[in-house]
Amino acid sequence: MRPWLAVLVLLASVVASAQSSRPVRDMRFAWDRGAPKVSFSAKDLADERVRQELSGGLRKRLVVHVSAHVDGSNQRLARRTFSCDVTRDLWEDGYLVRIGTKSMRFKSLEQVLDHCLVVEGLFVGEPKQYANHAGKEIYFAVRAEFNPISKQQCRELIRPTAGSDAVGPITVSIVRRRICQAERDVEFRSEVVKVPQ
Amino acid sequence: MSRFERKILFAIGLSVFLALGGAIFLARGALREVYSVGVNERFGAELVHGVEARRGQLMALRASTEQAADAVQWAVEAELARKRGTRRLAPLLEELLQRYPFVRGIRVASPDESVVASVSRPVDPAQEPMRVTTRDRMASSPDHTLHIAVEVAVPEAYFERLQEAGEAADVYSRLQRRSASVSDVYVWVFGVLVFVVIVVAFLIGAILSRRVTKRVAALAEASRKVGAGDLNISLPTSATDEISDLTQAFNDMVRDLRDSRTRIEYLQRISAWQDFARRLAHEIKNPLTPIQLAAQEIDETYSGDDETYRQKLQSARAIIEEEVATLRRLVGEFSAFAKLPEADLVPADLGELVQAIEASVPAMLEDLGGGSPVPVEVEVSAATKPIRVRMDPMMLKRGIDNLVRNAIQAVYEVKPEGGGRVLVRAYRTRDSGFIEVRDNGRGISEDNWDRVFDPYYTTRSEGTGLGLAIVKKVVLEHGGHVRLDRAPEGGARFSIELPLLESR
Repeated sequence: MRPWLAVLVLLASVVASAQSSRPVRDMRFAWDRGAPKVSFSAKDLADERVRQELSGGLRKRLVVHVSAHVDGSNQRLARRTFSCDVTRDLWEDGYLVRIGTKSMRFKSLEQVLDHCLVVEGLFVGEPKQYANHAGKEIYFAVRAEFNPISKQQCRELIRPTAGSDAVGPITVSIVRRRICQAERDVEFRSEVVKVPQ
Repeated sequence: MSRFERKILFAIGLSVFLALGGAIFLARGALREVYSVGVNERFGAELVHGVEARRGQLMALRASTEQAADAVQWAVEAELARKRGTRRLAPLLEELLQRYPFVRGIRVASPDESVVASVSRPVDPAQEPMRVTTRDRMASSPDHTLHIAVEVAVPEAYFERLQEAGEAADVYSRLQRRSASVSDVYVWVFGVLVFVVIVVAFLIGAILSRRVTKRVAALAEASRKVGAGDLNISLPTSATDEISDLTQAFNDMVRDLRDSRTRIEYLQRISAWQDFARRLAHEIKNPLTPIQLAAQEIDETYSGDDETYRQKLQSARAIIEEEVATLRRLVGEFSAFAKLPEADLVPADLGELVQAIEASVPAMLEDLGGGSPVPVEVEVSAATKPIRVRMDPMMLKRGIDNLVRNAIQAVYEVKPEGGGRVLVRAYRTRDSGFIEVRDNGRGISEDNWDRVFDPYYTTRSEGTGLGLAIVKKVVLEHGGHVRLDRAPEGGARFSIELPLLESR
């Protein structure tokens, strides 16, 4: 075996084992016209500090990534991400939640968390992404993040101009990645489930 | 890769990696220091205070709008309490509108939503975006219950600025919390880049050092070959550095060794031939006198009358005496060769030696002509500046006499009627003194140039082949060289090179 291939296989197996080492949490599935719909709660992301920050009047972000993987390998079949920009309205009591271009108002933080972190019947991928894997065992991985700074916003906030030197952009991109990562995250995975025939 | 090369590379690697380690250590400290200057708790606290102040400002503004709504409610209730109906509400609302700048409009409606009174400010289309909120109040009196809607507007920018300040404070707080991690990123990037530069420098250093180590390895290999006896080795010395000087010194040493070995071998060979000549002379010389005496006695004691026999005896005696004389001459030359002393070197001037040779030329010409000088022109010249060398003047003169005599003989053989010319000259270069003897005779075939200095090698019928051997022995004992090549005039040219005294 060529050395680079061996390294690649080793890396893939390390990543796969890291994926599968996530804690298993009870998740509900339903297959709808060949695509899975998952339901779960990631509300434990909102600990005391997170709740406090969400109530501070500054815009905060809750992001949930759900992905489907073939069991025992690193192969990802599908991925779905949604995010809520939550702002406690200091002018009028309540919370303003923006999902994409849609805005909603909620009276309490609990309602916000139920809307953003408790997922009910979320489609993960399309039927064609599972079509070739009928009968195979798959699992769903969830990563919920509190307040990751988006790439664009991060770029605007940390050294917007890259500078003329060659080293700056490399270093800044690493720093941006470290600084703008989520302040808190929760990861878990589902039990193994078979893709129906 | 040779051990020397490995050591050089190890030295380069060690120095560059020490430099890298030192640079990273210093850079880490410097970066943390710089980072802590730019990102510190004071600035972070000030940013948080700024956010709090904006939030406080908004909250205060909100309270003001609530108070304005309350004030409107109280004013309306007071007007209703005067029992003048609702007709004077409009001027009152206008007055209230002018009093509170952030109130955009006031509408008073009856429970069935029919408008009782309403005032509003004109909206300027060029005005910045505003957040408009309605504060609802109920005004009650025994006769009326009215719904009051106070429309307040504050610039949307107030809210945006709070968000922007919050984001900046958030990022700053992250930078502060992860200061060690961020400065480590810079150290790592710096380290990786320096490492890349060092690897490139190391490779260049390795390539450059390889050029040196290759030459040193070539010297080591050449030294091994010299140790094994190969003295014909010579290394290129194209560069101008210490290694090149070392190579040049090595080449000089090998050349000196080669010359010394040649000299020693030649002198050993000559010594063996001298021993042989001594024995030969001894063995031949002893019976010569009895042979000659016996021949004389046979001739003189014959008393018979046979005239023919007498004549035969006399003829035989003459032949024997002539051959004995020849043998005596040979024995004499062998004996002289065998008894050739070792050179006794003293400082002297080659120019003076050449003058002494010039003085002996007439006698030489007469001797070769059997009494009358042979018609050969001999020109002798010497540099005006003294050519000081260590030499045995007697022996060296004897050797050069041999060369001059040979040259005269050679040109006389081909030009007996005249026109023969022999040139003897002494000159010097920076390190050596030279005596050159050349003629315009036939010259010596190039095939024989290596052999003419061997003892007993001669091309002449009456020669003993010892003259040039003696010349070479004498010159070698002077630490010099004798060479043969072709003269510009076409004949032979013998060059004797001796080291100058001042160059030693």
